[in-house]
Amino acid sequence: MELEDLTLMFEKAHFIRAFEGALAAASDAGEVPGLVHLSNGAEILELAVASALDLPKDQVTGSHRSHGIALSLGVDPLALACEILGREGGLSEGLGGTQHLIAPESGLLGSNGIVGGQVPLALGAALSAKTLKTGGIAVSYFGDGAANQGAVLESLNLAVVLKLPVLFVCENNGFGQSTASAYAAGGTSLLGRARAFGLAAAHVDGTDPLEATKTAHRLAAWVRDTGSPAFLEASVPRLSGHYHGDAERYRTTDGRSTDPLDRLEGMILSRDVPEGLVEDMKSRAHADALAIVDEATAAPDASDTALEAFMAEAQA
Amino acid sequence: MTQMTLSQALNRAHHDVMAADDHIIVIGEDIHGGSGVTGGQELGGVFGVTRGLASRFGAGRVIDTPISETAFVGMATGAAMTGLKPIVEVMFCDFMGVCFDQIMNQAAKARFLSNGRFDLPLTIRTTMGAGDGSGAMHSQSTFGMLSSVAGLMVACPSSPADAAGLLKSAVAAKGPTILMEHKGLYGHADTVEDDLPAVKLGKGRVVREGTDLTIIAVSAFVHKAEAAAEALKKDGIEAEVIDPRTIKPLDEALILESVKKTGRLLVASEDAAFAGFADAVISFVTRAAFADLKAAPVAVTPLDIPVPYGRKAEAKWLPTAETIIKAAKQMMEA
Repeated sequence: MELEDLTLMFEKAHFIRAFEGALAAASDAGEVPGLVHLSNGAEILELAVASALDLPKDQVTGSHRSHGIALSLGVDPLALACEILGREGGLSEGLGGTQHLIAPESGLLGSNGIVGGQVPLALGAALSAKTLKTGGIAVSYFGDGAANQGAVLESLNLAVVLKLPVLFVCENNGFGQSTASAYAAGGTSLLGRARAFGLAAAHVDGTDPLEATKTAHRLAAWVRDTGSPAFLEASVPRLSGHYHGDAERYRTTDGRSTDPLDRLEGMILSRDVPEGLVEDMKSRAHADALAIVDEATAAPDASDTALEAFMAEAQA
Repeated sequence: MTQMTLSQALNRAHHDVMAADDHIIVIGEDIHGGSGVTGGQELGGVFGVTRGLASRFGAGRVIDTPISETAFVGMATGAAMTGLKPIVEVMFCDFMGVCFDQIMNQAAKARFLSNGRFDLPLTIRTTMGAGDGSGAMHSQSTFGMLSSVAGLMVACPSSPADAAGLLKSAVAAKGPTILMEHKGLYGHADTVEDDLPAVKLGKGRVVREGTDLTIIAVSAFVHKAEAAAEALKKDGIEAEVIDPRTIKPLDEALILESVKKTGRLLVASEDAAFAGFADAVISFVTRAAFADLKAAPVAVTPLDIPVPYGRKAEAKWLPTAETIIKAAKQMMEA
């Protein structure tokens, strides 16, 4: 990767990290209606996948942990923050919230409150792309927890049977809430499962910008060119709790992963870069994210207008 | 006017809507049938409703699926979010237990969660009904339960014309619609208009006028109610029979108008004895027209136990025209 690609990824990754940090602070201050599930640790992988997509022709579905996915796809961060905070100007005027982020105009078909529920929906986006010959593909993110859901296993099979252009991205962070993936998955190789269903499949270290980008591009291109499904398992750390505020008593501090953002920073610093470049990028990304979350926090609560429109329709 | 059965009318309606709009696709188990089998003939769905569609419109628009209700109902939902208008068949409504997340959480809520930024033109067709010895897991009628999920529309046709007409409205609707077809009615023949016109969702029909009591019934029970009304007439009781056709949205105005006239309400329904369609109608009428009621409303429903298999037990479980007649007479004497 060129230095320019690395620094661009670095800026975006720090923006996502700072956005999540600002949301966590807003949550602590009682500004968020519900619980937020933060993306800390998955930024590099999600940016790598997004860089392989043709948006919004390609459509993505994600899990409850999709703030980072939305930002990686280029969803308007202010509308995103307003939606998460339940404020006016949110993507869906606050009807959806943190677990139901919808921005198809940017390629985010939807995130989901049901573990694995988003995966069959991506098959539909792939079927539309195939039937309407748009040239687009679908991408469905899910975690190692969802990998044990029937919805996901059925979808892997159906995608092969119907030959649908869909890229499954399993973010394996080792945890389904408090339960270890090694405990919950019978036969611990998720890659082996995917291959048994007949999918082209690869594993990637989701903290490695070079490998993640290369593999995501290779699989996305393969899906697009062949019209067939593929499976990408990415190891990513979950740097924070299941949700913000999770005390994580089930987890010791031993064996915590290193931060992929530090790894990227090291790669940039190993190149011949001007003094202070990295610190400048970081502080700019953090200032930008904080300003956006502050602006969203200052916005009024979403009005009842959207709600009333649906009630009127139901009563008509 | 033409004479045809309910399954023939549905089949014709599928041909009509698919010819008119190439965004309409059909998805389900065995809807073409014999996929992957060499030789052999088309099945066209277990009740023949989708017959001839694959040969006319191609396998790209008539998609046989594996037995994976969650994946294919979800796929249909996602396709409806992205430009297609799928008609997806769940072979028996009992099987919705397998894929209820995709119905209750995904299809029912997607349009709301997008704040109406996309429509969800999804039609789910399914079958229901007892009386043919299919046992506890192929005989239920779940329309009341489904209509309690906000965001779903539910229609239960009783005639060939309504089946075709409601299908046409469902594929044109902004939100997900479940069309529930009673297995015992597929062979039921009646006259239909040649062009099988659309029937508006939420619009009921007065099947028979009367002045003494109002009988509300849908699907197969409309025919039981009609037979009961005919018998009651011989005893000098004039029953008005109303077929709401759509469970949700419910034609409340039509029901209220009738109850205000007759002062008596009997709901005959094949769905749940507890918290089902009958309870919902009685609740709303009691709240809206309490002062007009001359007697306590009556529900005629199956027993509050799973559908039994044996002929004698199933007959005991399932209300008949006789059950309705008896309940109506008791009500008139009260």
